[in-house]
Amino acid sequence: MALASLQSIPAAPRRWSRYRHPQSTIRFAVLLAVLTFLAWSVAFLNVDLLRILGAFPRLAEILATRYFPPDLNYVSDADFIRSVIRTLEMSLLGGFFGVVFSIPLAWLAARNITFSRRIAYPLGRFAIMGSRSIHETIWTILFVTVLGFGMLAGTLALTVFCIGFAGKLFSDELEAIDMGPVDAMRSVGASPLQVFQYAVLPQVRVAFTGIAIYTWDVAFRAATVVGFFGGGGMGWYLKRTTQQLESTRVAAILLVIIALVLIAEIGSGWLRRRISRMR
Amino acid sequence: MRHEKNIAESRATRGSTADTVASMSILQVRNLKVSYAASGPQILKGIDFAVDGEDFCAVIGPSGAGKSTLIRCINRLVEPTEGDIVLFGQSVRPLRGSELRHLRRRIGMIFQEFNLVNRMSVMDNVLSGRLGYTGAFRSFFKAFPREDIDRALHLLERVGLQDHVDKRADALSGGQRQRVGIARALMQKPEILLLDEPTSALDPKISRDVMRLIRELATEFKVPVLCNIHDVQLALESCNRIIGMQDGYKKFDGPSKGMRKQDLDEIYAMEVL
Repeated sequence: MALASLQSIPAAPRRWSRYRHPQSTIRFAVLLAVLTFLAWSVAFLNVDLLRILGAFPRLAEILATRYFPPDLNYVSDADFIRSVIRTLEMSLLGGFFGVVFSIPLAWLAARNITFSRRIAYPLGRFAIMGSRSIHETIWTILFVTVLGFGMLAGTLALTVFCIGFAGKLFSDELEAIDMGPVDAMRSVGASPLQVFQYAVLPQVRVAFTGIAIYTWDVAFRAATVVGFFGGGGMGWYLKRTTQQLESTRVAAILLVIIALVLIAEIGSGWLRRRISRMR
Repeated sequence: MRHEKNIAESRATRGSTADTVASMSILQVRNLKVSYAASGPQILKGIDFAVDGEDFCAVIGPSGAGKSTLIRCINRLVEPTEGDIVLFGQSVRPLRGSELRHLRRRIGMIFQEFNLVNRMSVMDNVLSGRLGYTGAFRSFFKAFPREDIDRALHLLERVGLQDHVDKRADALSGGQRQRVGIARALMQKPEILLLDEPTSALDPKISRDVMRLIRELATEFKVPVLCNIHDVQLALESCNRIIGMQDGYKKFDGPSKGMRKQDLDEIYAMEVL
């Protein structure tokens, strides 16, 4: 039996080339087209590459003359510090509600464990993609026009932003789980909620915690900007000082933002590393 | 409309289950056909057989014969495309939602890759076998009834894992993990056991130990077994009935004692290396 099947293996083709006609030709044609488009864009937009190089010394000069020294008194003012705390609160609330709402949405939008591929899956996908496709500043503008200026609009905008951000990462994580335990829990007669809690959640818990922390980190960065459009928090100070051309104050605020984002990023990175070791 | 009619019929049959079950087989499979995609190849091409209360029945055959698909159809992890499966006097195919879950909790299943939840303790893995009988509130807080916990401890002792109760499932060896899988299936107080290649991931010696344990427990709890198995020798040793499959068809069905060399040759005739 084995001999017969060995003989039936066809003889190897005599000529071999890494490049085969239709596939390789198409691949190179596409690469060529993309490069041509890039070159044409540079020519069409009249981008002067030398001016880009010249921008750096000019930037340094402007920073040195107009933005220096940063007005540190302005940022040690009690009202400003309060606005920083407001920003932190907004990012925490937005991150929390975003994560809470995005878990069920991610469940719907995960192809392997969704309730129905025809109804629930596209719904979940649409909700997450919809939140993602619109930038957080535009969400802020939308909510400010509906709800008026302030923290509520900003928090809602951040919530929607976090749903889009965490929902995508959560659903990707859910689609990568091992389906074996899911089969096992289904076959003991567990309900969908029990299957999720006993077979799915233990597999993604660590990753979800990491993603939730990362989401807060990104939400905090976004929160510094929503105030610019009336969403509350420190962004409003940034808007006022830039419009009043108070460059040294702008410099101080930017320094505060950079410092805070750095602290948030280092802190969340440290936490995520600790958690990923718990796998 | 057709589904509703079928459900009505299955309700009617369930009503009369008690009188008829003694004279009927526990499981009957009639003309079962499966293809995974509408245009794809047919995996099962019309299978018929029945399993009785005393059976320890092995399904053997070359890779790709459809053994796993057959086993998974019975508790509907795979949807049949045609034919009929009658389990405990109840038609399986029309069941939906909670009706399907109620049927599934009476069927114990043991898997090739054990399918334990690795990041859960051995105890929680075994207790999860009771989920079909546990309400949403209790299961959410993992507050299983005292009798379930006692049963889990008893079964863990029975499979020889009394010292590993609180370990995480991924801290165990392959043979130990499969014993957890066995305990989990027995937690259901199953009326039939489906085994999907229970020993393929284990070495030959442990395979024999595990099969012996399953055999003992099945006799002890009087559960019929339908076992799909790769190792012919092991099948002949541990089962009293053999169903031979090849390329989606049933090629042999009879007691393992009556199986001859030429029957085996016929079943495995198409195997290519």
